[in-house]
Amino acid sequence: MPYLEIRDLTVSYDKNQPTLERFSLNVEQGELLSLLGPSGCGKTTTLRSVAGFIRPDAGQIVINDHDYTRLPPNQRDIGLVFQSYALFPHLTVFYNVAFGLRMRRIPKKEVKERVTNALKMVGLEAFANRRPAQLSGGQQQRVALARATVIEPQVLLLDEPLSNLDARLRVDMRQEIRRLQQQLGITTLYVTHDQVEAMSISDRVVVMNQGEIEQIGTPEDIFAAPETVFVADFMGFDNHFNAAVESVQDSKLTVTWGGAPIELRWHSKFGSPPSGARAEIFFRADSASLLAGTEASGLAGEVILHTFHGNEVQYLVETDLGEFSIMQDSDSERFAPGAAVTVQAHTQKWIAILEETAARRVTGEKNDRAQAKY
Amino acid sequence: MVSRWMYVSLVILYSFLLGPFIIIFMASFGANANLAFPPQGFTLDWFANVFETSQFIDSFWISLHLALLSTVVSLVMGMPVAYALTRFQFAGSGMVETVFSAPILVPGLVIGFAMLNFFVLLGDMHVMTGLFIGHTAILFPYSVRVISASLRNLAPYVEDAAVSLGANRLRGFLLVVLPNMQAGIAAAFVLGFITSFNNVPVSLFLSGPGVTTLPVSMLSYLEYYFDPTIAALSTLLVIFTVVLVQTAERVLGLSQFV
Repeated sequence: MPYLEIRDLTVSYDKNQPTLERFSLNVEQGELLSLLGPSGCGKTTTLRSVAGFIRPDAGQIVINDHDYTRLPPNQRDIGLVFQSYALFPHLTVFYNVAFGLRMRRIPKKEVKERVTNALKMVGLEAFANRRPAQLSGGQQQRVALARATVIEPQVLLLDEPLSNLDARLRVDMRQEIRRLQQQLGITTLYVTHDQVEAMSISDRVVVMNQGEIEQIGTPEDIFAAPETVFVADFMGFDNHFNAAVESVQDSKLTVTWGGAPIELRWHSKFGSPPSGARAEIFFRADSASLLAGTEASGLAGEVILHTFHGNEVQYLVETDLGEFSIMQDSDSERFAPGAAVTVQAHTQKWIAILEETAARRVTGEKNDRAQAKY
Repeated sequence: MVSRWMYVSLVILYSFLLGPFIIIFMASFGANANLAFPPQGFTLDWFANVFETSQFIDSFWISLHLALLSTVVSLVMGMPVAYALTRFQFAGSGMVETVFSAPILVPGLVIGFAMLNFFVLLGDMHVMTGLFIGHTAILFPYSVRVISASLRNLAPYVEDAAVSLGANRLRGFLLVVLPNMQAGIAAAFVLGFITSFNNVPVSLFLSGPGVTTLPVSMLSYLEYYFDPTIAALSTLLVIFTVVLVQTAERVLGLSQFV
């Protein structure tokens, strides 16, 4: 049974264009679930609805079998971490962390004990008497984390907690958040627009777009096997081309690449399209390789541009199927612009999405919306 | 090259700014019976005369009471307005902000004249009440502005953080927002106090027989006498204001809000 249930949530700031419409999501106990998507996709709205700061037009928020929908935010027992830290500037680190416990009228001695423990967990016990302004960004976010978890909340919500930190600190902090979350076994909803962050920290990832769920899965699934055009694009499948399906058999979908058939992974849950159906084929820049000349099997092309990236060289290659961006080891053979090359497919990392699926999705959404209005 | 021109223009600017004060300051110690520069001789008689002129002493106390009272009331009224303007987007919030700025934009003489007419229409009103209402009205926009500035310095989500930790909205405001507004409130207090204490145009119209503020009584004193008493009083007022503002700057960092 899920621990946090979002049932048919509808939120609209603008009456004609709901931000969320009958949005449902389950989070298991102790799980860290990321809401991943571009700004405006509804992920923060979802989070703030769970926190109680947004009153939904319809739907329910259920935590541990209790209906939270009508509960005011101060009675929800939810830990919240903000992008801007939102520490209390006039209070010391100790009193920032103690705030929630003091609101709960917990005896002084226990407050001291729990705050000290929480600060120890984030490695800031030596900073208890500092003011937030005297701490670095990373330290401030650690305080915010301690402040949100010390109350032992039912659910922990993190809203882009690392966006204000610099790149190196972000990696450290994300490990720290993950470690703390697992240590406390706390059910967590994590909002981010950064796919690397979502991949590295989550048990499961929800990719959102325009208030709808595009795909739910483990980070590995989302990374390797996007099911929609949006997810493929968002997860960095830079290259795509349109192809006719030759055949579908034994979890393999066959299309033509440079005159020869290539087999791509296929899951029966996506149906078995007839031969001749159109599909959009996606692959990342690192899952193809270049060979000199056009004699080898593969797709013939011409190098247009090359860019040196240190360990890798990026080539822009023009072919009959379009322009592809391809990464090669910088130790391998180099090609100058104008060189004739053969592009070889590393098909185990390629994906196919039926055009029909993509189209149905789009119109399906529209129908749903139209129906909901009447 | 640039720095030389900057230096020269700075000297010119400062001599225009400070020159009059220096002349008044020196004249207030002069022994002549008329206000003159350069002063001849040295005396503290004019300072003594300030404290012996009951007109000044009475109006000083009136100004002080008036400034304190209208500043406090304008702060109490300005706080919720500043809070609403910075925290909520509502239909017509831009309008509200403009309307509340009007007393800064409209000439003081116009406000004073308009208020006089208004109070006369209202009928028998105590002079002090009229002054109090007039001063509160002109201070109100300053309170709103300065307190708004201090609220904008506070990260927008701190209240949400307090609420998510179990505080209701009122406690969130009292425990988190109010303590962080303190410096802004104090700055608004100093600014309001000085604005009220120095105001002439509004006080001019709203003063009445026997009830008048210090700047207005200085003005009427000047109509009859031209001795250095007024220079001595001016010197005292300059020192009073400078001390007040400097203290506020040291303690609160006033310039951060104005």
